[in-house]
Amino acid sequence: MRDDDNVKIRDVARALREPVRVDASFNERVMHAVREMPKHSRLSFWRRFAMPRTITVRPVAASLIAASLIVFALVGLWHVSDDLDQAAKPIAKAIFPPKVAPDQHVQFVLVAPDAKKVAVVGDFNGWDASHSAYQAQHRGGGVWAVLATVPVGHHRYSFVVDDSLWVADPTAPRVVDNDFGTTNSAIVVEEQR
Amino acid sequence: MTALKRALAGLLAVAATARAQDARLAQRLDKPTYVAVNAIVDSARVAKLPTAPLVDKALEGAAKGSDGQKIVLAVHQLSIRMTSARHVLGSSSSPDEIKAAGTALDAGVSERDLERVKAAGGKRSVTMPLTVLTDLVGRQVPIVTATSLVVQLSRSGVKDPDLALFQRNVRADIDRGADPTVAATTRARGLVGRGASPKTKPAQ
Repeated sequence: MRDDDNVKIRDVARALREPVRVDASFNERVMHAVREMPKHSRLSFWRRFAMPRTITVRPVAASLIAASLIVFALVGLWHVSDDLDQAAKPIAKAIFPPKVAPDQHVQFVLVAPDAKKVAVVGDFNGWDASHSAYQAQHRGGGVWAVLATVPVGHHRYSFVVDDSLWVADPTAPRVVDNDFGTTNSAIVVEEQR
Repeated sequence: MTALKRALAGLLAVAATARAQDARLAQRLDKPTYVAVNAIVDSARVAKLPTAPLVDKALEGAAKGSDGQKIVLAVHQLSIRMTSARHVLGSSSSPDEIKAAGTALDAGVSERDLERVKAAGGKRSVTMPLTVLTDLVGRQVPIVTATSLVVQLSRSGVKDPDLALFQRNVRADIDRGADPTVAATTRARGLVGRGASPKTKPAQ
């Protein structure tokens, strides 16, 4: 029994000692298979990020990261919102021009019994006393009046009597003029609805 | 397409207006004054300030026969006041608000007072409150009192037409011989007491 075993062992050892016969393309096939295997320890920096992988994160950590990102984004947005708003305004105005309110009719009246000529001047007519649309007409009793169109907004104006005397409108808010020495009047014209 | 046409029309109108303003300045100012005023206007444009009030100030000076140096100084000071006004009122303030605030500063109202009026008005325009405030100051109501009254009226929700009516009543009282401070205080108290009338017609 023991002799039989020894013979078998010798046969096996002999068979194992025989050189393995492989075909000529074996080496090439083995190397090709090796090259196709994924690299682990020698991955490039970019491929480590690009390669799909499964990451395990604790829910608490994920929630904290998400909350931090939201807070960061909101704070950033709050800081740049004013700048964005300012930058967007001209573009928005160019694309959707704001509706321009039509000029409004305003009655200017001055009591000047001795006047021979009364004109209204203001920032709505370039302070031009010769502007034909702003020449007051004498309505009798020393009352001079003109119904003129004025753009919506805040304006400063005055009467010019006989091309020389500047008179503020006694019925309107005053604007003390510290620049040129005469008091002007103010008017806030609103769009009639 | 319509929006594009409107946008182009708007841009052309703005460019045409700018040229027209420059033309008016060139016609009415002497060359050195024109150059100096133009430089201030250009600086204001870069700083995104409204430039029309500056052009108007120069035209006003020319119409009143002021010399060039005085005109340049006036335009320069107005640009400074408007810069302060926009700083106080915020970058979203309208050109009319900046103009009215600049006028109020010229009348002696402080930036702190402007802040108070702005805060009292909330999101409403402060053009009319500042116009009335400037008028009161011009009629010898002390600035502290005038500011407090306008702030009080704004906080009470008094609307622009009622503010204009308040100004007219104060002016009428002063013309009849009332003390300006007493007239303004009494009228303001009466307006706050009865509440703002929603049916008051806008004053013009």
